Amino acid sequence: MENKFDRGSALSIFGSDRREDFMALIFALIIAFGVFFFV
Amino acid sequence: MVYTKKSPALLIMGIIMLAIWYLADSGILAPYIEHLANGKKYKYGSELSTLPLYFGVFSAIFGAWHIFGSHKEGALDYYSSTVAGGIFILLIAMLVRWFIAPEVAVISTGMGKVGDTGKYIHKLLGLNYVVIGIVTGIVIVNVFRVPEWAQNGVRLSRLGLKTGVILLGTLYSAAELTNLGGLSIVMIGFFVLGSVGMVLWIGARRKIPNSMGGVLSAGMGVCGVSATVASAPVVQAKSVEIAYTIGTILLWGVGCMFVFPIIGNLLGMTHVQFGAWAGTGILNSAQVAGAALAYQPDGIETLKVAEIFNITRVLVLPIIVLWLAVWYVKREESVTETVNVGRVVFEKFPVFVLGFILLFALSTTGMFAPANHYKGKFFGNTADSGFKEKNLLKPEQATVLSGELGKIQREDRKAAVTALIQNGKIMSIEHDDAVRGLVNAKILSKDANKVLKKSHKAVRHTAKKIKSFRKWITWLFAFGLVGLGMQITVGAMKQAGGQPAVIGGIVGFTKAALSLVVVMLLIQTTI
Repeated sequence: MENKFDRGSALSIFGSDRREDFMALIFALIIAFGVFFFV
Repeated sequence: MVYTKKSPALLIMGIIMLAIWYLADSGILAPYIEHLANGKKYKYGSELSTLPLYFGVFSAIFGAWHIFGSHKEGALDYYSSTVAGGIFILLIAMLVRWFIAPEVAVISTGMGKVGDTGKYIHKLLGLNYVVIGIVTGIVIVNVFRVPEWAQNGVRLSRLGLKTGVILLGTLYSAAELTNLGGLSIVMIGFFVLGSVGMVLWIGARRKIPNSMGGVLSAGMGVCGVSATVASAPVVQAKSVEIAYTIGTILLWGVGCMFVFPIIGNLLGMTHVQFGAWAGTGILNSAQVAGAALAYQPDGIETLKVAEIFNITRVLVLPIIVLWLAVWYVKREESVTETVNVGRVVFEKFPVFVLGFILLFALSTTGMFAPANHYKGKFFGNTADSGFKEKNLLKPEQATVLSGELGKIQREDRKAAVTALIQNGKIMSIEHDDAVRGLVNAKILSKDANKVLKKSHKAVRHTAKKIKSFRKWITWLFAFGLVGLGMQITVGAMKQAGGQPAVIGGIVGFTKAALSLVVVMLLIQTTI
């Protein structure tokens, strides 16, 4: 896929891998605490 | 630039999801679901009655806003525009998992077993929802092209995979990690260092530039794309060399993702064996997950083993970057630009691996699964434990097990099965572990394994929270892998070619073949 986006890269909506990693970490923590409190 | 398209696509997808939910929930789909179940229990009933409803409502509301709302350039527009692509991937994953893959299984079962293998063709080729989902993604992007309204959101797939890997940390026990960790450090240490050395050696013989050899060695040895990106500044790789490396990894990795499960099925590998082999032999993290889930689509054991090997491999990255830095400076006397290796490692090291370790650390505190869930509350004698009498071993089941005792070599497993026959139930956690190990080792007949699995289920229940994590992880990986398929373009694979592809092929094949031999010879244990 050619890069036709002025933000992020062809493989990610985030500008850097580091940012994507942190977002994944935040999502994982939200899910983990969601499971902890509601399941 | 305004990213949100005034397209009805998201709203239509929401309506489709709601229609699926309604048809399933009202019972209209019942005859079709019975056909898909193929004489067994349909596995996705609970998912069908909840997920399309939640995501259908969400998509319909968001879709209406996409059409009728006003959108201005900015962060809100950018991130909200990704929803359509994300839901597009999710809808494909749902259709494949709930309907297409079961239909393929029905057709394949109808065709009968393949020759002497004793397996149906869909089992042999691993045609489950994971493989079919990835192939659907590849077909969409290469034949039809990803619709414009979905293009922004398709780039969410890697985020889904990374979130899934981090959440996997919640599923390991300290004992599992100790067992698998030791094994993975030895295997990964040998194969990562071996393949990096091999690429550098062959590269020197074939006289490719040092920068090309350096970046290719990291990609082939460590973990594909992230290792390539991390090592690029250290060996001063050019963009075209990075593209060649990523193309080679992609070409090789995609091939492995489909071929590994077929070989695993033909050899009757255990979950641990296959996970260890995929985690060592396949280059890129996403494809490791793809192969592991393709091998065991309705369980998470293989994925757990494969990811431990994969994560161990990522942890070796700093050592490889350091090695390449020293190697490159020694070979290139003209190097004038100094690269701060420590800074490169700090900036490029994948943080999601640390996230996995963090979630594992949280999990070991017992916050997600109270210890008694693992101990199992039905061990001990029948009267005190609350164990239901109807779950005791039937005489005919005991006879099946007694007839196969001779096949069991290990003493602990033999003792566990003997005790099970005598007591009619599994009496301790140690015996339960031994029985699970015996099932995964695939030593006994199908019937005997069925009895053992039933006995295990009778005494040990998975904690609700752990079940919930497994579902989240399965869906995150399904989402990520369908999206991954949409990023595998013929154009990207054409980037591989010439010397890098030849060297990559030689090293990739050697690593896959040697690690298969090592795994088959050394790994007999289970988790």
